[in-house]
Amino acid sequence: MNELVNHMEEINRLMARYGVKFGIYKNGEFHEQLFPFDPLPRVITADEFDYLERGLAQRVDALNAFLADIYSDKKIVKDGVIPEDFIFSSKGYLPQCEGIVPPKKIYSHISGIDLVQGKDRNWYILEDNLRIPSGASYPMIARSLTRQASPAAFSTNHIVDNRNYADMLKAVMETVNTGGINVVLTPGRYNAAFFEHSYLAEQSDSILAMPQDLFVENNKLYYRRYDGKDEQVGAVYRRLSDEYLDPLCFLPESLIGVPGIMDVYRSGNVALVNAPGNGVADDKGIYYFVPHMVKYYLGEEAILHNAPTYLAFYEKDRKFILDHLERLVVKDVSEAGGYGVIFGSDLTKEKLNELAQIIRDEPRRFIAQEVIDFIDLDIVEGDEWVPRKADLRAFVLTGETTKVWPSGLTRFSRNPDSFVVNSSQGGGFKDTWVLSR
Amino acid sequence: MGIISLEKSDHLFWLGRYAERVFTTLDTFFRYYDQMLDSDDRAYEKFCERLNIPMIYESREHFVETYLFSQNDPNSVYSNMLRAYDNAVVLRDELSTKTLSYIQLTLDCIEQASGSDAHAYALQPVPDYLYAFWGCLDDHVEDEECRNIIKTGRYLERMDLYMRLGYEYKAIEKEYKKFLNRLHKIGIGYNLSEVDKLAEVFALGEEWNTRYYEAINALWNIF
Repeated sequence: MNELVNHMEEINRLMARYGVKFGIYKNGEFHEQLFPFDPLPRVITADEFDYLERGLAQRVDALNAFLADIYSDKKIVKDGVIPEDFIFSSKGYLPQCEGIVPPKKIYSHISGIDLVQGKDRNWYILEDNLRIPSGASYPMIARSLTRQASPAAFSTNHIVDNRNYADMLKAVMETVNTGGINVVLTPGRYNAAFFEHSYLAEQSDSILAMPQDLFVENNKLYYRRYDGKDEQVGAVYRRLSDEYLDPLCFLPESLIGVPGIMDVYRSGNVALVNAPGNGVADDKGIYYFVPHMVKYYLGEEAILHNAPTYLAFYEKDRKFILDHLERLVVKDVSEAGGYGVIFGSDLTKEKLNELAQIIRDEPRRFIAQEVIDFIDLDIVEGDEWVPRKADLRAFVLTGETTKVWPSGLTRFSRNPDSFVVNSSQGGGFKDTWVLSR
Repeated sequence: MGIISLEKSDHLFWLGRYAERVFTTLDTFFRYYDQMLDSDDRAYEKFCERLNIPMIYESREHFVETYLFSQNDPNSVYSNMLRAYDNAVVLRDELSTKTLSYIQLTLDCIEQASGSDAHAYALQPVPDYLYAFWGCLDDHVEDEECRNIIKTGRYLERMDLYMRLGYEYKAIEKEYKKFLNRLHKIGIGYNLSEVDKLAEVFALGEEWNTRYYEAINALWNIF
């Protein structure tokens, strides 16, 4: 471990050399920032990973079953397991996707599931990200650098090699490919995650495509080659949001979409990875119901637990939230990226009252959770190791089967008083070692 | 990857041009800089005139700092390197992360050299990184079309600069041959009559510069 710490500066310098950055807008201007890397890894034992793997695969299978149901029969609503308010009022529910059956009936091919480990050593799911979860590229490239920095750590610690993520991604794309090339569709270089888009395209032998590189003809999708020999596209790992994907179907003012791509998708002539409309399943309100989905669709008890969650929508829960607001964390279900997260303990009495009124006025908009006292992980700060809050984004890939990448993105807060780990809010990341024994 | 869009072909071409512009103008800059030290402190005026750069510089010191490092001067070495980076960063899947890293290193080096009291030393890694970039490109980029497009841009830029900066005919002729070799292999349409005109001018040998403007215009109008 000492070798890794000693080489921390060098590892970060190499990250800069390889362009490991994320974009951020400040005062309307785009800036590229390095994503600070901490050399002390999160370590997950083989037994622990086995447990996580089973729980995560189960959860994602249930979520995929839910999406297939919601965009077709809606049995889970008819059977009263989930109130329809949580489906049809969700911003992520897209009526345009009704009746569409994606290739191999897979909706969430790449799921980013955020977890934390409590001080009781139990893992808790914080949220599901089924639209365009970001972050796998960072630990991928970090691992190749840390292996060079500390060969001994990797020859003696039985760490599962995580550099196969791009192969897993490629296999998923090949599974659903309807005939043609694989492309990674990026909104452009000024997107916050552009490094990841370009890196995953390179590593998975896909073509990095800008929206203007793609066009629809005869209900098929093509990549426009410079020499006129256009290539049919069979699978699109799209990294732009649903609403911008197709101006003919969603936002007509979108300049970054591909006109007609939804018709091609609806006809089964191209696979979209992940499927549009997945937002209905990773809505923070729907999160509450995921253990119910596991039971409903798979007939099993959920292996992994949610953080204790209250829905302001239910009167009983709302009363509890309002009575205990000062100790809960309140989340706006329509926000992401660490935004819209309010810790009651941070608010003055006046602000608590204001928040309570907003919750009373718009109960569907909020959930509240007990603050999980999750374990701190040490990070290196100067010459010291200091504890900081950290979460884990696990990547679950669904192709022929559902597999969990034996690694993940461990993000940490650099602020000792903060639980917010997002890169956009100044957080850093660590490698995640899964031990093989 | 070998499947290049129209937009990517454009980025490849311009990456070649901007990377070469940084390389050649920096090399030439230091020759003029040497003159400015003790024999002609306004030698930069000639440099700017040859490159058709607006004379916005008030003094030798102002020229050195601005031309090398200013982000607000569109003709500066730094601005040209930023444009090279802008074109390169969208080509990771074509060029590879390794190849791209030399563009990043070049840009970082220029940023860090600003404020140095020995510019030539501080910027010495720039040509080294750019040589490494071209070497890495040859080594890692399998697709010949991709290499042909970027090198067409590179040699076109080099010819343009050599002609304008008054390089010897032999040096220009060498780049001209390299340029033609790539030009005939790319799948991008170009103006054959301008290529013929250029051939006619260079057939004059050392006397080519009697038709200097014709040659420059022909080069600019090939694409």
